[in-house]
Amino acid sequence: MAKIIENRQLNIFLEELKKKFDVFDVREDILPPKKYFLPPHEKTFSFDRKDGKVVFSLQKKQFIVFGVKPADLSAINQLDLIMEKSFSDFFYLQKRAKSIIIGLSERPLKSYSGGDLVLEKINSKQYRAIPLTKKGKKISEIWIFKDEKDPKVMIKAIPSTKKLKEIILDAEFLSDAVSWSWTHDQKVWDELAKICLGCGICTYVCPLCYCFSTDDRVCLDGEKCARFRQWDACTLPNFAKVTGGHNFHKTLKERYYNWFFHKFVRAYKEDGRPLCVACGRCQKYCPARIDIEVWLLKIIKDYEKYLLAPKN
Amino acid sequence: MKNIYLPQKIKISKIEKLSSNTSLFRLKKIGGSFVSKKNGLVFVPGQFVLAGVWGYGEAPFGIASSPYEKSYVDIVVRNTDGKVTKALHSQKEGAEITLRGPLGNGFPLAFFEEKDVVMVSGGCGIPPVASLAEYIIKNRKKFRKVYFLYGAKTPKDILMKDQMKRWAKNMEIILTIDSPNPLWNGCVGFVSDIISKIKINPINTVVAMCGPGPMVKSIEKVFRPLGVADRRIFVSEERKMHCGIGKCQHCTTGEKYVCLDGPVFNLDQIDKNWD
Repeated sequence: MAKIIENRQLNIFLEELKKKFDVFDVREDILPPKKYFLPPHEKTFSFDRKDGKVVFSLQKKQFIVFGVKPADLSAINQLDLIMEKSFSDFFYLQKRAKSIIIGLSERPLKSYSGGDLVLEKINSKQYRAIPLTKKGKKISEIWIFKDEKDPKVMIKAIPSTKKLKEIILDAEFLSDAVSWSWTHDQKVWDELAKICLGCGICTYVCPLCYCFSTDDRVCLDGEKCARFRQWDACTLPNFAKVTGGHNFHKTLKERYYNWFFHKFVRAYKEDGRPLCVACGRCQKYCPARIDIEVWLLKIIKDYEKYLLAPKN
Repeated sequence: MKNIYLPQKIKISKIEKLSSNTSLFRLKKIGGSFVSKKNGLVFVPGQFVLAGVWGYGEAPFGIASSPYEKSYVDIVVRNTDGKVTKALHSQKEGAEITLRGPLGNGFPLAFFEEKDVVMVSGGCGIPPVASLAEYIIKNRKKFRKVYFLYGAKTPKDILMKDQMKRWAKNMEIILTIDSPNPLWNGCVGFVSDIISKIKINPINTVVAMCGPGPMVKSIEKVFRPLGVADRRIFVSEERKMHCGIGKCQHCTTGEKYVCLDGPVFNLDQIDKNWD
Protein backbone atom coordinates (compact mmCIF):
# COMPACT_ATOMS: atom_id res chain seq x y z
CA MET A 1 0.00 0.00 0.00
CA ALA A 2 1.50 3.31 -1.07
CA LYS A 3 1.23 6.51 0.96
CA ILE A 4 0.11 9.45 -1.13
CA ILE A 5 -0.02 13.17 -0.50
CA GLU A 6 -1.82 15.69 -2.69
CA ASN A 7 0.12 18.63 -4.18
CA ARG A 8 -2.20 21.15 -2.67
CA GLN A 9 -1.72 19.66 0.76
CA LEU A 10 2.05 20.14 0.91
CA ASN A 11 1.70 23.45 2.74
CA ILE A 12 -0.76 21.98 5.21
CA PHE A 13 1.73 19.16 5.71
CA LEU A 14 4.42 21.71 6.52
CA GLU A 15 2.12 23.50 8.97
CA GLU A 16 1.42 20.17 10.61
CA LEU A 17 5.14 19.46 10.98
CA LYS A 18 5.76 22.92 12.43
CA LYS A 19 3.54 22.04 15.39
CA LYS A 20 6.21 19.63 16.59
CA PHE A 21 9.47 20.58 14.91
CA ASP A 22 11.48 23.50 13.65
CA VAL A 23 10.98 23.21 9.92
CA PHE A 24 13.32 24.58 7.27
CA ASP A 25 11.88 24.63 3.78
CA VAL A 26 14.85 24.57 1.39
CA ARG A 27 12.97 24.50 -1.90
CA GLU A 28 13.97 28.06 -2.79
CA ASP A 29 17.42 28.00 -1.15
CA ILE A 30 20.56 28.87 -3.08
CA LEU A 31 22.90 27.50 -0.44
CA PRO A 32 22.92 23.71 -0.11
CA PRO A 33 21.31 21.92 2.88
CA LYS A 34 24.77 21.31 4.46
CA LYS A 35 24.20 24.71 6.07
CA TYR A 36 21.84 23.16 8.61
CA PHE A 37 24.48 20.73 9.86
CA LEU A 38 27.62 22.71 9.16
CA PRO A 39 26.36 26.29 9.42
CA PRO A 40 28.21 29.10 7.61
CA HIS A 41 29.04 30.46 11.06
CA GLU A 42 28.47 28.55 14.29
CA LYS A 43 29.40 28.94 17.92
CA THR A 44 31.09 25.78 19.14
CA PHE A 45 32.26 26.74 22.63
CA SER A 46 31.83 29.51 25.13
CA PHE A 47 34.29 30.18 27.88
CA ASP A 48 33.82 32.22 31.04
CA ARG A 49 37.04 33.47 32.57
CA LYS A 50 35.38 34.09 35.97
CA ASP A 51 34.53 30.48 36.70
CA GLY A 52 36.73 28.86 34.06
CA LYS A 53 33.72 27.02 32.68
CA VAL A 54 33.71 25.75 29.10
CA VAL A 55 30.31 25.04 27.57
CA PHE A 56 29.85 23.53 24.15
CA SER A 57 26.88 24.25 21.95
CA LEU A 58 24.25 21.57 21.62
CA GLN A 59 21.37 21.12 19.22
CA LYS A 60 18.50 20.38 21.55
CA LYS A 61 15.36 20.49 19.43
CA GLN A 62 14.61 18.12 16.59
CA PHE A 63 14.29 19.86 13.25
CA ILE A 64 13.14 19.03 9.77
CA VAL A 65 14.83 19.99 6.53
CA PHE A 66 12.11 19.84 3.90
CA GLY A 67 12.33 19.84 0.13
CA VAL A 68 15.84 18.49 -0.39
CA LYS A 69 16.55 17.58 -4.00
CA PRO A 70 17.76 14.04 -4.85
CA ALA A 71 21.32 15.18 -5.66
CA ASP A 72 21.52 16.93 -2.31
CA LEU A 73 20.21 13.83 -0.55
CA SER A 74 23.18 11.85 -1.78
CA ALA A 75 25.49 14.75 -0.91
CA ILE A 76 24.24 14.69 2.69
CA ASN A 77 24.73 10.95 2.79
CA GLN A 78 28.32 11.35 1.56
CA LEU A 79 29.01 14.19 3.98
CA ASP A 80 27.67 12.05 6.85
CA LEU A 81 30.24 9.37 6.04
CA ILE A 82 33.04 11.94 5.92
CA MET A 83 32.05 13.44 9.24
CA GLU A 84 31.56 10.04 10.90
CA LYS A 85 35.02 8.86 9.92
CA SER A 86 37.45 8.79 12.82
CA PHE A 87 37.85 11.25 14.36
CA SER A 88 34.19 12.08 14.08
CA ASP A 89 32.95 15.63 13.96
CA PHE A 90 30.85 16.14 17.08
CA PHE A 91 29.11 19.35 16.08
CA TYR A 92 28.02 18.12 12.67
CA LEU A 93 26.85 14.73 13.90
CA GLN A 94 24.83 15.97 16.83
CA LYS A 95 22.91 18.23 14.45
CA ARG A 96 22.38 15.33 12.07
CA ALA A 97 21.12 13.18 14.94
CA LYS A 98 18.47 15.79 15.68
CA SER A 99 17.41 16.25 12.07
CA ILE A 100 14.85 14.64 9.84
CA ILE A 101 15.39 15.09 6.13
CA ILE A 102 12.48 15.08 3.72
CA GLY A 103 13.45 14.92 0.09
CA LEU A 104 11.36 16.11 -2.81
CA SER A 105 11.75 14.70 -6.28
CA GLU A 106 9.95 16.10 -9.29
CA ARG A 107 9.92 12.67 -10.89
CA PRO A 108 10.16 9.10 -9.66
CA LEU A 109 13.74 7.85 -9.48
CA LYS A 110 15.04 4.30 -9.33
CA SER A 111 16.61 4.88 -5.94
CA TYR A 112 17.41 7.55 -3.37
CA SER A 113 20.69 7.54 -1.54
CA GLY A 114 19.89 9.65 1.47
CA GLY A 115 17.21 11.32 3.57
CA ASP A 116 14.57 9.94 5.91
CA LEU A 117 11.55 10.34 3.69
CA VAL A 118 11.27 11.19 0.01
CA LEU A 119 8.20 12.58 -1.66
CA GLU A 120 8.31 11.86 -5.38
CA LYS A 121 5.92 13.33 -7.87
CA ILE A 122 4.00 10.59 -9.66
CA ASN A 123 1.38 12.67 -11.47
CA SER A 124 0.37 16.30 -11.75
CA LYS A 125 -1.58 16.14 -8.50
CA GLN A 126 0.16 13.68 -6.24
CA TYR A 127 3.40 12.76 -4.52
CA ARG A 128 4.20 9.27 -3.35
CA ALA A 129 5.89 8.97 0.05
CA ILE A 130 8.95 6.75 0.21
CA PRO A 131 10.14 6.29 3.79
CA LEU A 132 13.81 5.37 4.05
CA THR A 133 14.29 5.33 7.81
CA LYS A 134 12.22 4.81 10.94
CA LYS A 135 12.03 8.57 11.43
CA GLY A 136 10.76 8.96 7.87
CA LYS A 137 8.23 6.20 8.29
CA LYS A 138 6.79 7.88 11.35
CA ILE A 139 6.32 11.11 9.43
CA SER A 140 4.61 9.25 6.56
CA GLU A 141 2.08 7.90 9.03
CA ILE A 142 0.52 11.27 9.89
CA TRP A 143 -3.07 11.77 8.78
CA ILE A 144 -2.29 13.84 5.70
CA PHE A 145 -0.91 10.82 3.82
CA LYS A 146 -3.62 8.64 2.32
CA ASP A 147 -3.30 4.97 1.54
CA GLU A 148 -3.58 4.23 -2.16
CA LYS A 149 -3.66 0.67 -3.49
CA ASP A 150 -2.87 1.51 -7.04
CA PRO A 151 -1.24 4.95 -7.35
CA LYS A 152 -1.31 6.51 -10.82
CA VAL A 153 2.30 6.93 -11.89
CA MET A 154 2.04 9.25 -14.88
CA ILE A 155 5.48 10.87 -14.69
CA LYS A 156 8.18 8.60 -15.95
CA ALA A 157 11.70 8.23 -14.66
CA ILE A 158 13.97 9.50 -17.41
CA PRO A 159 17.69 9.01 -17.23
CA SER A 160 19.66 12.18 -16.69
CA THR A 161 21.28 13.73 -19.73
CA LYS A 162 23.68 15.82 -17.63
CA LYS A 163 27.20 15.32 -18.91
CA LEU A 164 28.69 16.14 -15.50
CA LYS A 165 26.72 13.30 -13.96
CA GLU A 166 28.20 10.93 -16.51
CA ILE A 167 31.73 12.23 -15.97
CA ILE A 168 31.70 11.66 -12.23
CA LEU A 169 30.56 8.07 -12.64
CA ASP A 170 34.01 6.98 -13.76
CA ALA A 171 35.68 8.33 -10.64
CA GLU A 172 38.99 6.58 -11.17
CA PHE A 173 39.46 7.83 -14.70
CA LEU A 174 38.42 11.33 -13.65
CA SER A 175 40.91 11.27 -10.79
CA ASP A 176 43.68 10.15 -13.15
CA ALA A 177 42.76 12.81 -15.70
CA VAL A 178 42.70 15.67 -13.20
CA SER A 179 46.03 14.80 -11.59
CA TRP A 180 47.56 14.23 -15.03
CA SER A 181 46.39 17.69 -16.10
CA TRP A 182 48.52 19.38 -13.44
CA THR A 183 51.71 17.80 -14.71
CA HIS A 184 50.93 17.66 -18.43
CA ASP A 185 48.21 20.19 -19.19
CA GLN A 186 49.26 23.34 -17.35
CA LYS A 187 47.64 25.52 -20.02
CA VAL A 188 44.24 24.55 -18.67
CA TRP A 189 45.17 25.79 -15.21
CA ASP A 190 46.83 28.94 -16.52
CA GLU A 191 43.65 29.74 -18.37
CA LEU A 192 41.37 28.92 -15.45
CA ALA A 193 43.51 31.03 -13.11
CA LYS A 194 42.96 33.97 -15.44
CA ILE A 195 39.19 33.56 -15.40
CA CYS A 196 38.65 32.56 -11.77
CA LEU A 197 38.06 35.45 -9.38
CA GLY A 198 39.11 33.43 -6.34
CA CYS A 199 35.92 34.45 -4.56
CA GLY A 200 35.08 31.08 -3.04
CA ILE A 201 31.42 31.10 -4.14
CA CYS A 202 31.80 27.69 -5.81
CA THR A 203 32.77 26.20 -2.46
CA TYR A 204 29.96 27.89 -0.54
CA VAL A 205 27.25 26.69 -2.92
CA CYS A 206 28.73 23.20 -3.16
CA PRO A 207 26.81 20.63 -1.08
CA LEU A 208 30.04 18.70 -0.58
CA CYS A 209 32.62 21.37 0.21
CA TYR A 210 33.09 21.31 3.94
CA CYS A 211 36.33 23.07 4.77
CA PHE A 212 36.20 25.45 7.69
CA SER A 213 38.30 27.62 9.94
CA THR A 214 37.95 28.45 13.61
CA ASP A 215 38.11 31.79 15.29
CA ASP A 216 37.77 33.04 18.88
CA ARG A 217 35.82 36.18 19.74
CA VAL A 218 36.07 38.01 23.03
CA CYS A 219 33.58 40.23 24.89
CA LEU A 220 34.61 43.84 25.34
CA ASP A 221 35.31 43.31 29.04
CA GLY A 222 37.53 40.34 28.20
CA GLU A 223 35.71 38.08 30.65
CA LYS A 224 33.86 35.86 28.22
CA CYS A 225 34.79 34.45 24.86
CA ALA A 226 33.34 32.14 22.28
CA ARG A 227 34.93 29.84 19.75
CA PHE A 228 33.33 29.88 16.33
CA ARG A 229 33.82 27.90 13.22
CA GLN A 230 32.90 29.19 9.83
CA TRP A 231 32.99 28.09 6.24
CA ASP A 232 36.30 28.69 4.58
CA ALA A 233 37.24 28.24 0.93
CA CYS A 234 40.42 26.66 -0.39
CA THR A 235 40.41 29.20 -3.22
CA LEU A 236 40.89 32.11 -0.81
CA PRO A 237 44.44 33.53 -0.51
CA ASN A 238 45.21 32.71 3.14
CA PHE A 239 43.82 29.19 3.20
CA ALA A 240 47.20 27.45 3.34
CA LYS A 241 49.26 30.33 4.69
CA VAL A 242 51.05 29.67 7.98
CA THR A 243 51.97 32.21 10.61
CA GLY A 244 55.39 33.43 9.70
CA GLY A 245 54.31 34.08 6.14
CA HIS A 246 54.90 30.93 4.11
CA ASN A 247 51.99 30.13 1.82
CA PHE A 248 51.73 26.55 0.60
CA HIS A 249 49.25 27.60 -2.11
CA LYS A 250 50.62 30.94 -3.16
CA THR A 251 48.91 31.42 -6.50
CA LEU A 252 45.26 31.37 -7.48
CA LYS A 253 46.21 28.71 -10.01
CA GLU A 254 47.39 26.41 -7.20
CA ARG A 255 44.36 27.20 -5.10
CA TYR A 256 41.87 26.61 -7.88
CA TYR A 257 43.62 23.37 -8.78
CA ASN A 258 43.47 22.38 -5.12
CA TRP A 259 39.68 22.70 -5.30
CA PHE A 260 39.57 20.28 -8.22
CA PHE A 261 42.25 18.10 -6.64
CA HIS A 262 40.25 17.63 -3.46
CA LYS A 263 36.99 17.02 -5.28
CA PHE A 264 38.17 14.61 -7.91
CA VAL A 265 41.51 13.18 -6.75
CA ARG A 266 41.95 13.18 -2.97
CA ALA A 267 38.28 12.41 -2.29
CA TYR A 268 38.44 9.49 -4.73
CA LYS A 269 41.62 8.14 -3.14
CA GLU A 270 40.08 8.53 0.32
CA ASP A 271 36.54 7.29 -0.16
CA GLY A 272 36.28 5.96 -3.69
CA ARG A 273 34.08 8.70 -5.05
CA PRO A 274 34.41 12.33 -6.05
CA LEU A 275 33.06 15.19 -3.97
CA CYS A 276 30.49 16.11 -6.58
CA VAL A 277 26.88 15.11 -7.12
CA ALA A 278 26.37 17.19 -10.27
CA CYS A 279 23.88 19.47 -8.53
CA GLY A 280 24.81 22.27 -10.93
CA ARG A 281 25.15 25.05 -8.34
CA CYS A 282 28.77 25.96 -9.03
CA GLN A 283 27.99 26.06 -12.74
CA LYS A 284 25.04 28.36 -12.10
CA TYR A 285 26.46 30.72 -9.49
CA CYS A 286 30.10 31.21 -10.52
CA PRO A 287 30.36 34.95 -11.13
CA ALA A 288 33.12 34.31 -13.67
CA ARG A 289 30.89 31.80 -15.44
CA ILE A 290 33.28 28.90 -15.06
CA ASP A 291 31.42 25.73 -15.94
CA ILE A 292 33.30 22.80 -14.41
CA GLU A 293 31.55 20.41 -16.78
CA VAL A 294 33.11 22.16 -19.79
CA TRP A 295 36.58 22.17 -18.19
CA LEU A 296 36.42 18.60 -16.99
CA LEU A 297 35.39 17.52 -20.47
CA LYS A 298 38.36 19.40 -21.89
CA ILE A 299 40.75 17.81 -19.37
CA ILE A 300 39.35 14.36 -20.12
CA LYS A 301 39.60 14.94 -23.87
CA ASP A 302 43.24 16.07 -23.54
CA TYR A 303 44.01 13.10 -21.31
CA GLU A 304 42.44 10.64 -23.75
CA LYS A 305 44.42 12.20 -26.57
CA TYR A 306 47.57 11.77 -24.51
CA LEU A 307 46.77 8.16 -23.73
CA LEU A 308 46.11 7.32 -27.37
CA ALA A 309 49.14 9.16 -28.75
CA PRO A 310 52.03 6.90 -29.76
CA LYS A 311 54.78 6.91 -27.12
CA ASN A 312 58.45 6.65 -27.85
CA MET B 1 29.47 10.88 21.45
CA LYS B 2 32.95 12.15 22.26
CA ASN B 3 33.61 15.78 21.46
CA ILE B 4 37.14 15.72 20.14
CA TYR B 5 37.15 19.50 19.82
CA LEU B 6 36.83 19.92 23.60
CA PRO B 7 40.28 20.84 24.91
CA GLN B 8 41.82 19.76 28.22
CA LYS B 9 42.59 22.32 30.89
CA ILE B 10 46.31 22.78 31.24
CA LYS B 11 48.55 24.84 33.48
CA ILE B 12 51.82 26.39 32.39
CA SER B 13 54.15 25.22 35.13
CA LYS B 14 57.35 26.69 33.73
CA ILE B 15 58.41 29.10 31.00
CA GLU B 16 62.04 28.97 29.97
CA LYS B 17 63.42 31.49 27.52
CA LEU B 18 65.48 29.63 24.94
CA SER B 19 66.33 32.51 22.63
CA SER B 20 65.24 36.11 22.01
CA ASN B 21 61.90 35.06 20.54
CA THR B 22 61.51 31.43 21.54
CA SER B 23 60.46 29.89 24.84
CA LEU B 24 59.84 26.44 26.21
CA PHE B 25 56.47 26.01 27.92
CA ARG B 26 56.12 23.17 30.40
CA LEU B 27 52.46 22.12 30.51
CA LYS B 28 50.82 20.19 33.32
CA LYS B 29 47.37 18.69 33.33
CA ILE B 30 45.11 20.30 35.90
CA GLY B 31 43.86 17.70 38.36
CA GLY B 32 45.78 14.72 37.03
CA SER B 33 48.63 13.49 34.91
CA PHE B 34 48.92 12.42 31.30
CA VAL B 35 48.05 8.81 30.62
CA SER B 36 50.58 6.41 29.17
CA LYS B 37 49.82 3.45 26.96
CA LYS B 38 50.86 -0.15 27.61
CA ASN B 39 54.33 0.51 26.20
CA GLY B 40 54.84 3.24 28.79
CA LEU B 41 54.63 6.08 26.27
CA VAL B 42 52.35 9.07 26.80
CA PHE B 43 52.74 9.93 23.11
CA VAL B 44 54.82 8.80 20.15
CA PRO B 45 57.77 11.12 19.49
CA GLY B 46 56.81 13.20 16.45
CA GLN B 47 53.18 13.59 17.51
CA PHE B 48 51.88 17.08 18.11
CA VAL B 49 49.37 18.90 20.30
CA LEU B 50 47.05 21.79 19.63
CA ALA B 51 47.81 24.31 22.34
CA GLY B 52 45.45 27.22 22.74
CA VAL B 53 44.45 30.25 24.72
CA TRP B 54 40.76 31.04 25.02
CA GLY B 55 40.09 34.19 23.04
CA TYR B 56 42.98 33.62 20.65
CA GLY B 57 42.51 30.10 19.28
CA GLU B 58 44.64 27.01 18.91
CA ALA B 59 47.78 26.12 16.96
CA PRO B 60 49.81 22.94 16.43
CA PHE B 61 53.10 22.38 18.25
CA GLY B 62 55.41 19.37 18.28
CA ILE B 63 56.06 17.87 21.71
CA ALA B 64 59.64 18.36 22.86
CA SER B 65 59.74 16.41 26.13
CA SER B 66 60.32 12.74 26.86
CA PRO B 67 57.44 10.49 25.83
CA TYR B 68 57.86 8.65 29.15
CA GLU B 69 57.10 11.75 31.19
CA LYS B 70 53.60 11.60 32.61
CA SER B 71 53.57 14.75 34.70
CA TYR B 72 54.14 17.28 31.91
CA VAL B 73 54.71 17.91 28.20
CA ASP B 74 57.02 20.59 26.83
CA ILE B 75 56.34 22.66 23.75
CA VAL B 76 58.73 25.13 22.16
CA VAL B 77 57.07 28.24 20.80
CA ARG B 78 58.61 30.91 18.63
CA ASN B 79 56.75 34.20 18.75
CA THR B 80 55.97 34.63 15.07
CA ASP B 81 53.54 37.46 15.73
CA GLY B 82 50.64 35.14 15.05
CA LYS B 83 47.56 35.23 17.29
CA VAL B 84 48.33 32.07 19.25
CA THR B 85 52.12 32.30 19.55
CA LYS B 86 51.77 35.92 20.68
CA ALA B 87 49.09 34.99 23.21
CA LEU B 88 51.20 32.13 24.57
CA HIS B 89 54.20 34.41 24.96
CA SER B 90 52.13 36.87 26.95
CA GLN B 91 51.20 34.18 29.51
CA LYS B 92 52.90 33.84 32.86
CA GLU B 93 53.83 30.72 34.80
CA GLY B 94 50.73 29.33 36.47
CA ALA B 95 48.39 30.52 33.73
CA GLU B 96 45.71 28.21 32.45
CA ILE B 97 45.68 27.33 28.76
CA THR B 98 44.15 24.55 26.67
CA LEU B 99 45.47 21.46 24.97
CA ARG B 100 44.19 18.89 22.51
CA GLY B 101 46.07 15.78 21.60
CA PRO B 102 48.48 14.09 21.23
CA LEU B 103 47.52 13.97 17.55
CA GLY B 104 49.08 12.60 14.38
CA ASN B 105 51.27 9.56 13.85
CA GLY B 106 54.81 10.15 15.18
CA PHE B 107 58.02 8.44 14.09
CA PRO B 108 57.87 4.66 13.43
CA LEU B 109 59.98 3.73 16.46
CA ALA B 110 60.08 -0.04 15.93
CA PHE B 111 61.36 0.49 12.39
CA PHE B 112 64.23 2.61 13.72
CA GLU B 113 65.53 -0.19 15.93
CA GLU B 114 68.83 -1.89 15.04
CA LYS B 115 69.63 0.94 12.64
CA ASP B 116 71.89 3.99 12.53
CA VAL B 117 69.72 6.99 13.35
CA VAL B 118 70.44 10.50 12.09
CA MET B 119 68.25 13.19 13.61
CA VAL B 120 68.33 16.46 11.73
CA SER B 121 66.67 19.70 12.66
CA GLY B 122 67.04 23.42 12.40
CA GLY B 123 65.65 26.51 14.09
CA CYS B 124 62.46 25.92 16.02
CA GLY B 125 61.87 22.60 14.23
CA ILE B 126 63.62 20.88 17.11
CA PRO B 127 60.69 19.58 19.27
CA PRO B 128 59.67 16.37 17.47
CA VAL B 129 63.30 15.35 17.07
CA ALA B 130 64.03 16.28 20.68
CA SER B 131 61.38 13.90 21.98
CA LEU B 132 62.81 11.23 19.69
CA ALA B 133 66.25 11.87 21.20
CA GLU B 134 64.76 11.42 24.68
CA TYR B 135 63.20 8.13 23.59
CA ILE B 136 66.47 6.91 22.08
CA ILE B 137 68.41 7.71 25.24
CA LYS B 138 66.02 5.64 27.31
CA ASN B 139 66.30 2.73 24.86
CA ARG B 140 69.86 3.38 23.66
CA LYS B 141 70.80 -0.30 23.24
CA LYS B 142 68.12 -0.81 20.61
CA PHE B 143 69.82 1.59 18.20
CA ARG B 144 73.21 1.62 16.53
CA LYS B 145 75.06 4.86 15.80
CA VAL B 146 73.01 7.91 16.71
CA TYR B 147 73.67 11.43 15.46
CA PHE B 148 71.89 14.65 16.28
CA LEU B 149 72.54 17.43 13.77
CA TYR B 150 71.16 20.87 14.46
CA GLY B 151 71.51 24.20 12.72
CA ALA B 152 70.69 27.70 13.96
CA LYS B 153 71.21 31.22 12.67
CA THR B 154 73.59 32.35 15.40
CA PRO B 155 74.95 30.75 18.59
CA LYS B 156 72.27 32.61 20.55
CA ASP B 157 69.55 30.93 18.49
CA ILE B 158 70.56 27.39 19.45
CA LEU B 159 67.60 25.96 21.34
CA MET B 160 67.49 23.31 24.09
CA LYS B 161 71.21 23.51 24.90
CA ASP B 162 70.77 21.96 28.35
CA GLN B 163 68.99 18.97 26.92
CA MET B 164 71.67 18.55 24.28
CA LYS B 165 74.36 18.42 26.97
CA ARG B 166 72.50 15.50 28.50
CA TRP B 167 71.97 13.73 25.18
CA ALA B 168 75.65 14.16 24.24
CA LYS B 169 76.58 11.31 26.59
CA ASN B 170 74.69 8.87 24.42
CA MET B 171 74.89 10.25 20.90
CA GLU B 172 77.06 12.46 18.78
CA ILE B 173 75.76 15.99 18.54
CA ILE B 174 76.96 18.28 15.77
CA LEU B 175 75.86 21.90 15.76
CA THR B 176 76.28 24.48 13.05
CA ILE B 177 75.44 28.14 12.63
CA ASP B 178 74.58 29.91 9.39
CA SER B 179 77.47 32.39 9.21
CA PRO B 180 80.82 32.92 11.04
CA ASN B 181 80.55 34.41 14.50
CA PRO B 182 83.37 35.47 16.88
CA LEU B 183 81.65 33.64 19.76
CA TRP B 184 81.58 30.37 17.86
CA ASN B 185 84.32 27.87 17.12
CA GLY B 186 82.10 25.05 15.89
CA CYS B 187 80.83 24.28 12.40
CA VAL B 188 79.60 27.04 10.12
CA GLY B 189 77.20 26.53 7.23
CA PHE B 190 73.88 24.83 6.70
CA VAL B 191 73.02 21.49 8.22
CA SER B 192 73.44 19.89 4.80
CA ASP B 193 77.10 20.97 4.87
CA ILE B 194 77.93 18.96 8.00
CA ILE B 195 76.64 15.62 6.77
CA SER B 196 80.20 14.73 5.72
CA LYS B 197 81.08 14.60 9.42
CA ILE B 198 78.94 11.57 10.08
CA LYS B 199 79.81 7.96 9.40
CA ILE B 200 76.81 5.83 8.74
CA ASN B 201 75.94 2.62 7.01
CA PRO B 202 73.56 4.06 4.39
CA ILE B 203 71.66 0.85 3.75
CA ASN B 204 70.91 0.53 7.44
CA THR B 205 70.24 4.17 8.30
CA VAL B 206 67.10 6.06 9.11
CA VAL B 207 66.86 9.85 9.02
CA ALA B 208 64.40 11.82 11.16
CA MET B 209 64.01 15.45 10.13
CA CYS B 210 62.11 18.53 11.09
CA GLY B 211 62.97 22.03 10.12
CA PRO B 212 62.38 24.84 7.68
CA GLY B 213 61.39 23.87 4.11
CA PRO B 214 64.67 24.83 2.42
CA MET B 215 66.65 22.82 5.00
CA VAL B 216 64.56 19.72 4.40
CA LYS B 217 64.98 20.13 0.64
CA SER B 218 68.76 20.46 0.88
CA ILE B 219 69.03 17.49 3.23
CA GLU B 220 67.16 15.29 0.79
CA LYS B 221 69.82 16.08 -1.76
CA VAL B 222 72.55 14.98 0.62
CA PHE B 223 71.11 11.74 1.98
CA ARG B 224 69.93 10.38 -1.32
CA PRO B 225 73.38 10.34 -2.93
CA LEU B 226 74.72 8.72 0.24
CA GLY B 227 72.42 5.82 -0.53
CA VAL B 228 69.71 6.31 2.10
CA ALA B 229 66.41 5.25 0.54
CA ASP B 230 63.51 7.70 0.47
CA ARG B 231 61.47 5.31 2.56
CA ARG B 232 63.98 5.62 5.37
CA ILE B 233 64.05 9.42 5.35
CA PHE B 234 61.29 10.69 7.65
CA VAL B 235 60.22 14.29 7.64
CA SER B 236 57.89 16.03 10.06
CA GLU B 237 55.81 18.44 8.00
CA GLU B 238 54.35 21.78 8.97
CA ARG B 239 51.05 23.13 7.68
CA LYS B 240 48.28 25.43 8.74
CA MET B 241 45.78 23.59 10.94
CA HIS B 242 42.40 24.32 12.43
CA CYS B 243 40.77 21.04 13.41
CA GLY B 244 43.69 18.64 13.82
CA ILE B 245 41.46 15.66 12.94
CA GLY B 246 41.35 15.59 9.14
CA LYS B 247 38.24 17.63 8.52
CA CYS B 248 39.02 21.31 7.94
CA GLN B 249 41.28 20.72 4.88
CA HIS B 250 43.91 23.35 5.71
CA CYS B 251 46.82 20.97 6.25
CA THR B 252 46.61 18.81 3.15
CA THR B 253 49.63 17.84 1.12
CA GLY B 254 48.67 16.00 -2.03
CA GLU B 255 46.45 13.12 -1.04
CA LYS B 256 47.52 13.23 2.61
CA TYR B 257 46.55 15.14 5.73
CA VAL B 258 49.43 16.38 7.82
CA CYS B 259 47.28 16.17 10.96
CA LEU B 260 46.03 12.64 10.39
CA ASP B 261 48.42 10.79 8.08
CA GLY B 262 51.39 12.80 9.36
CA PRO B 263 52.97 14.98 10.54
CA VAL B 264 55.72 12.40 9.95
CA PHE B 265 55.99 11.14 6.39
CA ASN B 266 58.68 9.25 4.57
CA LEU B 267 59.92 11.05 1.49
CA ASP B 268 58.29 8.51 -0.78
CA GLN B 269 54.88 9.57 0.48
CA ILE B 270 55.23 13.29 -0.09
CA ASP B 271 58.08 13.95 -2.46
CA LYS B 272 55.96 13.86 -5.59
CA ASN B 273 53.06 15.83 -4.12
CA TRP B 274 52.14 18.81 -6.21
CA ASP B 275 51.99 21.01 -3.11
